Amino acid sequence: MQPAGDGRMIGALPSMGKIAVCSCKHATRRASTRRRRSLRAALLIWVLAAALPATLVAAGTGAGPASWTGDLTPITRSDWTYDRAAHLMERAGFGGTPREIEAIAAMRPAAAVARLVRYGAIDNSGIAGFDHSGIFDPGMDPFPKSRAEAVRIAREKGAALGVEVLPDGSARPLQPVVDKFFYGLRADRLEAARLGQWWAQRMLATARPLEEKLTFFWHGHFATSDNKVRDYRMMLVQNEMLRSHANGNFRDLLMGIMKDPAMLVFLDNGENVKDHPNENFGRELLELFTMGVGNYSERDIREASRAFTGWTNDVLDFHFDAELHDFGEKEFLGRKGSFDGDDIIDIILDEPATAKHIARKVYRFFVSDEIVEPALAGLAKHLRESDYELAPLLETIFLSRDFYSPTAFATQIKSPVQLVISTYRRVGLDTLPTVPDFNSLTGSLGQRLFHPPNVAGWAQGRSWITPATLLQRGNLTREILFPPDLEAFGAPDRRMPGIYRQVGARIAEGANITTATQVGDAASNMLADADEDYNTRFGGYRGYLMAYERVKQIPRHIADLDLHLMMRQAGVESSADAVDHLARRFLLVPLASETREALIEFLEVRLEGGELGASPATEEALRGLLYLVLSTPEYQLG
Amino acid sequence: MKNLHIDCPCSTRRDFLRRGFYGLGVTAGLPIVLGRTSQALAAEALVDREAAPNRILVVVELSGGNDGLNTVVPFRNDEYYRVRPNLGIRRDDLIEVSEDRGFHPSLVGFERLYKDGVLAVVEGCGYPNPSLSHFSSMGFWHTGVPNGGEKLGWVGRFMDNHTPDGGRNLVVNVGNSQSLAVRAKVHSPLVFNDPQRFHREGTDAELDSLARMKTSHPSDNAQLAFLRSTAENAAESSAFVRKAWSAYRTPVDYGLGGADLRKVAALIAADMPTRVYYVSFSGNSFDTHVHQADLHARLLMYMADAVRGFTEDMKRLGRLDDVSMVLFSEFGRRVEENASLGTDHGTAGPMFVVSNQLEGGFYGGEPSLTDLDDGNLKMTTDFRRVYATMIDEWMRHSDTASILKGSYAPLGMFT
Repeated sequence: MQPAGDGRMIGALPSMGKIAVCSCKHATRRASTRRRRSLRAALLIWVLAAALPATLVAAGTGAGPASWTGDLTPITRSDWTYDRAAHLMERAGFGGTPREIEAIAAMRPAAAVARLVRYGAIDNSGIAGFDHSGIFDPGMDPFPKSRAEAVRIAREKGAALGVEVLPDGSARPLQPVVDKFFYGLRADRLEAARLGQWWAQRMLATARPLEEKLTFFWHGHFATSDNKVRDYRMMLVQNEMLRSHANGNFRDLLMGIMKDPAMLVFLDNGENVKDHPNENFGRELLELFTMGVGNYSERDIREASRAFTGWTNDVLDFHFDAELHDFGEKEFLGRKGSFDGDDIIDIILDEPATAKHIARKVYRFFVSDEIVEPALAGLAKHLRESDYELAPLLETIFLSRDFYSPTAFATQIKSPVQLVISTYRRVGLDTLPTVPDFNSLTGSLGQRLFHPPNVAGWAQGRSWITPATLLQRGNLTREILFPPDLEAFGAPDRRMPGIYRQVGARIAEGANITTATQVGDAASNMLADADEDYNTRFGGYRGYLMAYERVKQIPRHIADLDLHLMMRQAGVESSADAVDHLARRFLLVPLASETREALIEFLEVRLEGGELGASPATEEALRGLLYLVLSTPEYQLG
Repeated sequence: MKNLHIDCPCSTRRDFLRRGFYGLGVTAGLPIVLGRTSQALAAEALVDREAAPNRILVVVELSGGNDGLNTVVPFRNDEYYRVRPNLGIRRDDLIEVSEDRGFHPSLVGFERLYKDGVLAVVEGCGYPNPSLSHFSSMGFWHTGVPNGGEKLGWVGRFMDNHTPDGGRNLVVNVGNSQSLAVRAKVHSPLVFNDPQRFHREGTDAELDSLARMKTSHPSDNAQLAFLRSTAENAAESSAFVRKAWSAYRTPVDYGLGGADLRKVAALIAADMPTRVYYVSFSGNSFDTHVHQADLHARLLMYMADAVRGFTEDMKRLGRLDDVSMVLFSEFGRRVEENASLGTDHGTAGPMFVVSNQLEGGFYGGEPSLTDLDDGNLKMTTDFRRVYATMIDEWMRHSDTASILKGSYAPLGMFT
């Protein structure tokens, strides 16, 4: 693309011109883009170099024969095709461009899989760390659980959250504390959104796609939500912990998560103390994280919970509180001893049910909803025999005939995060567009990074699809291809909910706080001014203003796309070529013939019979065409 | 179409009030006022053989396990205050609704419904061998088959049994994902969250092409077949929902938690042919393990405001006679409060039914606070009896046994 400031180019291609102007405003972003480009390019070069010379890639073969279902035998060189490499890239990462897929397809399958799974040696140093806004002021740790608790502390001590109560005789003496409490909530929410976007950027640009995909998997398995944790720093600590063990040993992961501040807060383990064990932690450990329901008793849950008493956190660090720990004898899964948490974890790992449960979860995420029993038994045995090393399990899965069988190939409904990231990767982006907003895109489809719906994680599969989300999936790709004007784009990180905007508007009109915060007649709306010492709704409003001041704003830029160039590089000459190229680039299943005809006709009409020459009209038409391709039911499958 | 109210004796004030709008309206040519759409008429034609073609059921899920004991409080029972030394709600603070029961002070909305005689409280609802896991227990309530491994939801099976030839949009589930409760073999429930965004965007040329591409091609790939059929459903229903939502205006205040019930009201106002609506106060919010008092008060207030608001709205629309609601949670909480001023997962809990066709009051029987099962309440009423009540007495569909996979006696709640 021509550099910004080239009037001719902008005049000739208005939609692309906007992109150019926009990226010019973010010189640093462009620099980091270059760095990321070189990362992905480095991966490509490595892959090409590792490929055997003069490899012929078989074309057009997707799923293997039905007899491959449940068969863990590794595929061979002759089974290896472009389509199967594309399938591997999609599942073990977030998809790729035809060039990247061709490079993988040119390798031996075992080498391609090993390269993806054992990614430790691949340089990924170009990935930037999270850039903190610094929202936690002195006195804000530990953050009170509720507004009511903040108020209680303030009443007792004359200060809370590092803010002092106003002197006697002041109107609403506790207002500054309430304001600060809401500031904390709002600022953390905004920072967690920035964190989600940071991770998405990482998924897009990483040279180790499976590392991010696995971290994403473990995030769903050990689901923890910032909605409850309310501390993005803990979410980041957890994210780094999950990444560091993502393809390592499951025991390390499990030990890490049981000592993880975000998880300890999420499951209220600070409340799990000697004489009053809280069962939440023990229950989810057994039911969701390890063994699965039906393999233990309620008594086992209680005994396990006792062993984790006193496991708590000091803000961002694990803290063992011996005073609160129950050192007594426990009876757990038929064994007796004065077990602590580590012992419990070892006993759990010894149970065949655990290996089976984990193998099933891994399989469900990477392969298919249904698994045939002998294959599951085989994978579980493999996991146990390797002492819960994950890399061998993953290699077995990705190399197996089963992974390329009709029950696995192109049968997975992409999660919203997968859908958006893999769309960006397929068009060749390595900078995450921020118009439309990433978290809003995936959130409106039912998935927000760092905000799983509950401790069981996202339900996956068909549960992603409703009539509404299916339409929405198409609409959102249209927002990417035809982004709103930057001026008109209402950035969600600066958009106050209507009720608070109303408060602000009324105050601007000169209303007093009481009048400004009264709306409606339902009992819950009366809460706003229930207390003379402070006004909750006003605090909510002030909290937004304070958070907007502190939290760094997300720089906004649209997708850096040039479909015309993409077509030219692919040697596309006709409308039919264009449709076929997009189908190959974006879909794993062939288009129905009438759909293909409709698409060709659409493009021909839009081009008015003209050529695919470089013009704004061509770009518009191609984007329209791509929108149609991405709106098909076929595109939802990965 | 049979009007049920013609032959109902109008002996009480309540009867008169409830007939006021609709009973009179129908005979006076209300269909024009309601502006029935052809879609609604078509659905009526489909179900005209049935006894109660206008009746609608709204199911409200309170997810996370609502603390029933602090929702409906047995204030004369000393044991309650003994096991809830910190969380117990003092009699003075309660909304007394009977000799010995009081509502949580946040349930102002419910108080009015109760006094109007349109709220039934079914105490002690549960099932044998209760699970304390959210996911298992919610699954059991969704399927209506505890410990049974059932794949379909009870609402789904009801609709399959009720209208076996299928039909569009007879079940609507407001939410970001489909609840197991509405999963059916024949019917595909309409699921949406934001009605404003429930449409396909694009230029005319793009939309034309998309319409042409809309194929009902069979496919060997079961996922693809599922996606294609969902796409077809979406194309057919979205315009209606969006229009209904943009036409809907209400003066009624639903409070801070009523967003989803407002969407239901908008569809009812537009005469959507839906027979069962399913909404959820989701995100496990009722899971009050720690410092629950403020949180629980807020949750109950949002819930009761929304339910009362919805009822007011139905009155405004002249549809109060046609709509009943049932509210449930996957379990109650442990009888004894925990050391963190919260409560842990428990067993039985109250369900609520709201309808102006029922006899208000208490049903099911109070669970004992002393005869416990390992610290948890023993249920007095199988929750499937409440489902059977809604299916049989409200929807006037008698085949509850095949739907619920067992015989469950209705409670005799509807008059």
